Amino acid sequence: MANALLLEKVVKQFGDKTAVNEISLQVEKGEIYGLLGANGAGKTTTMRMVLGLIYPDSGRIMYHGKPYGKELQHLIGYLPEERGLYPKVKVSDQIKYLARLRGMSTSDADKSLRYWLDRFEVPEYYDKKIEELSKGNQQKMGFVAAVVHKPDILILDEAFSGLDPVNVELLKATVLELRDAGTSILFSTHRMEHVEELCRNITILDRSKTVLQGNLREIKKRYPREEVILHTTGEVTGLEQLEGVKKVERQERGYRISISDVAAAKAILRKAMEESDVEHFEIKEPTLNQIFIKEVGESNE
Amino acid sequence: MNRLGTVIGFTFLNKVRAKSFVITTVILALLVSIGLNVPYFIEKFTGEDSESVAKIGLVYGNQPEIAESLKVYTDKQSNNKYSFVEYQVADEAVLKQDIKDKKIDGYLDFSQDTNGAFPEVSFTSNKESMDVSLQTSLQAALQSVKTQYITKGSLTAEQVAEINMPVQIATFKALPDAASGENGESASGSKSIAIINYVIVYVLIFLFFFSNMMTGNMIAAEVTAEKSSRVMEILITSVSPLTQMFGKIVGMFLIGILQIAIFAAVVVVNVSLPHNAPLLADFDLDLSQINLQVVILGFIFYILGYFLYATLFAAIGSLVSRTEDLGQAIMPITMLSLATFYIGIFSLSAPNSMLLKVCTYIPFISPVSMLVRIGLGEIATWEIALSLAILVISIVLFGWLSAKIYRTGVLLYGKRPSFKELRKAMKAYKI
Repeated sequence: MANALLLEKVVKQFGDKTAVNEISLQVEKGEIYGLLGANGAGKTTTMRMVLGLIYPDSGRIMYHGKPYGKELQHLIGYLPEERGLYPKVKVSDQIKYLARLRGMSTSDADKSLRYWLDRFEVPEYYDKKIEELSKGNQQKMGFVAAVVHKPDILILDEAFSGLDPVNVELLKATVLELRDAGTSILFSTHRMEHVEELCRNITILDRSKTVLQGNLREIKKRYPREEVILHTTGEVTGLEQLEGVKKVERQERGYRISISDVAAAKAILRKAMEESDVEHFEIKEPTLNQIFIKEVGESNE
Repeated sequence: MNRLGTVIGFTFLNKVRAKSFVITTVILALLVSIGLNVPYFIEKFTGEDSESVAKIGLVYGNQPEIAESLKVYTDKQSNNKYSFVEYQVADEAVLKQDIKDKKIDGYLDFSQDTNGAFPEVSFTSNKESMDVSLQTSLQAALQSVKTQYITKGSLTAEQVAEINMPVQIATFKALPDAASGENGESASGSKSIAIINYVIVYVLIFLFFFSNMMTGNMIAAEVTAEKSSRVMEILITSVSPLTQMFGKIVGMFLIGILQIAIFAAVVVVNVSLPHNAPLLADFDLDLSQINLQVVILGFIFYILGYFLYATLFAAIGSLVSRTEDLGQAIMPITMLSLATFYIGIFSLSAPNSMLLKVCTYIPFISPVSMLVRIGLGEIATWEIALSLAILVISIVLFGWLSAKIYRTGVLLYGKRPSFKELRKAMKAYKI
């Protein structure tokens, strides 16, 4: 079966500036794909090309194996980064309007809208104007507007920015639910912890180029594990003398040890077990944050 | 097509339900009603005023002869504007006291004899100026007295009356022979243009200008608002910009029509109120004389003109990111439609001028100038057809151009792009 979404060597130039340089990626059915990058790296341009707002200069974008066409507008849902709805129009009016533009009948749109409002536990917003809602709630309505027509391909640009933790969890659960229902989601964010939780595959863009791409777990494996967390009941001394240990940091409940070689971890554990009882031992894999900063941050900032 | 309907419906309903729209329409309707009834009220008030007869002191002092003949003349005329109170001598103190005591409203005095010439006349009262109708009738009376005074009886009363009669010019419109054969109007012998046609053309130009400006501004404002609130990004991913733009334009057009219909209803109701009927007759307006051709063609040109302007308004709205900048950006079109408006209004008295003939083939100006020519001037059918064709072609052309600008503009944020930047963006977006 063809990929839900496939980008092949897509290039976009604005004047003499290259906004997107040969990006390739594919999103399977029921997958959340992370698109990462610093500001101005080309995420929004990539998304706009996927949405058919602007056309790539070269390369191609395929949807379920077919090129872009008008009928696709019904299949795509989009939550823009600077989300917007009509401030002075009732939630029900405008979301139904947007749903109908995407080919839904009025009654289906109404049913779907009520479902989503119930899902977010805010059925009373049906008759409210957008300007009467708080910023976070406006954003939730923006999300509803993006998913109300049950899209196949959902494009979320910074979906969680500006939300409180409770709402982030709520939205995250919803996104996962959509994924399980078979929606393919292209997801962009600066917040690495969300990506780690949600995405299977990622692409990191830096100044229009793809710097890192692939399965999240495999990417992480490629980066050496350089940190050991050790919690013990008593004190462990002489860790610094072990081979491969770079730095030992005493923490409230134990140690945080930087290592240059994973083999050192074994020695650390052995030593800790000799001297005390081990409560917790973990060889930490690098966080995406660290990887991102390593790949992008240093050259950028 | 279905989605176009959706856009139209949304635009229309949103505007109609908006409080601002309802309030503006009600206020304008009220103003129109008041305006239409103003002549009636004026008549009512001044009518009461004229019932009280002005008492004017007539001083015999210097010119007893003239004063006497003025009095004789006035007595002969049955007028209810003024009556004279005679004073034999010009004693200012007495006269002023009488004005103060309201015995008289003012007094007429004549200067010393000036070698057979008519003496100067002065009117003194406690007001800065003379009541206009009083002045007119006094002047007429004095004119007549003057004629008598100068001719000193060498003319008969009829001859004097004839001299005083103002010359009338009757205006006729010369129609070509071919036209007069088929034209029903000329068969009835009346070749003069009914005043009602002036009124109709005037009203149509006015309507064209105002509803165009109003709906045009609304379109631009809506587009800019959608852009600045970023709904646009969702909209353009769900429906093609062309559909969106024309949906908006048609929706606004319906609103404009609705508004015009409301005002028309208000006007009809007010005019047909019984107290306004004699007034209508006073102005020599006869609704049955309305030239239906003017109204129908006027309507067609109105629709076409509207679409021409509306596409431009939409395009400009799409270029502006913030509502604050909109007024400035719209200025050129505002100027254009103002020019169109004034060309129309000033050409009412010269409907066959070269300027107007040229203007009928210039797209943005043609709707109004056509209106004037069809209603008041003479125009061949092929000229109408040609003008219509040019208009339609330019609508297609500007519609296409505006759609392109719109498509590009809605994605450009920040400062208003220059033409060069716009072209670059168009190229970049491959539009």
